[in-house]
Amino acid sequence: MAMHPMEQFEVAPAMGMEHPLFHLFGYPIYFTNQSLLMVIVVAAASLFLSLAVKPGRLVPNKTQSLAEVSYEFVANMIHSATGEEGLKFFPFVFTLFVFVLCCNFFGMVPGSFTVTSQIAVTFSLACLVILIVIGTGFAKHGIGFFKLFVPHAPWYLLILLIPIEVISFLTRPISLSVRLFANMLAGHTMLAVFAGFVILLGGAGGALSALSILPMALIVAIMLLELLVAFLQAYVFAILTCIYLNEALHLHDQH
Amino acid sequence: MAQNPDELRKLGQRLDEAQQRRAVRPQGPPPTQLGIAGRFSTELVAALVVGGGLGWGIDWLFGHFGIHTRPVFMIVCVVLGAAAGIRNVMRAAAEINAQLSPGADEEK
Repeated sequence: MAMHPMEQFEVAPAMGMEHPLFHLFGYPIYFTNQSLLMVIVVAAASLFLSLAVKPGRLVPNKTQSLAEVSYEFVANMIHSATGEEGLKFFPFVFTLFVFVLCCNFFGMVPGSFTVTSQIAVTFSLACLVILIVIGTGFAKHGIGFFKLFVPHAPWYLLILLIPIEVISFLTRPISLSVRLFANMLAGHTMLAVFAGFVILLGGAGGALSALSILPMALIVAIMLLELLVAFLQAYVFAILTCIYLNEALHLHDQH
Repeated sequence: MAQNPDELRKLGQRLDEAQQRRAVRPQGPPPTQLGIAGRFSTELVAALVVGGGLGWGIDWLFGHFGIHTRPVFMIVCVVLGAAAGIRNVMRAAAEINAQLSPGADEEK
């Protein structure tokens, strides 16, 4: 009767796509509800951003201002975190930010699916970020990129410090992905648990039914908080990408 | 040359503002208490997990070649991972401090 709070995170083949698309190494590959939501998010975001901006318009209307504000926001973020050089990465960071933001917001629609509450998705995104950071570092500094792991210290301490720095670097994709994933998972689980209270109290009958207004009010409050978290986590994901890119671009000289 | 000095001053002001906007450290929303707590705990735990995993992997690799080091590298790497976690938290704290007070960074 009352839904299980974790049921919303179940990955299943999308409606009407029960047959696997193809087989990879003997495993069936399905078009899941997660893939469907990602396709919707990408389509909606690119449609909105391309339709909102008309080159001929001198005075922007509301939708165009929204697109321009998001552009400015990301450009400022990159510039303040990495300087002029980082602006090369604007397309990447902007895409990442918009994708995570839209996934979080589409997940807030009741009945939909939150893509960013899946560790597989967030970890893939984080790995992509780290691979680009490593690629940038090697492209810019060549073998000198390894200096990132060598702090200023006497040599006998370096024996200890270099492994620590390497582990600290390897931690990044995990902490980056776990933060986004845990925030979305916790928020949506909390919403579902309180929604379960509403159903249980409402079904109890009599005076108890009237009490179901309390968890309902709480849901509204949490919903607002979750909207903030959805934006904040997308922002944190993007700004950390910028910070890591900055380190790869400038190694230690700027801090 | 026949410019109104007031207008010029205004232009200068706007230029200063624009330049300042470029120079300012990450602005954005200030981190919430819960956000900071979440950030620190994930940094700590993730470093421990990575350290442990790395040590376990090295042990496994040596075991593959017939050298039995089983718990040694894992213990060493978990300790190093704990140190890395604390390093990460220090770094995160420095970032948050810089974000909260844009003027007073640079102390590392």
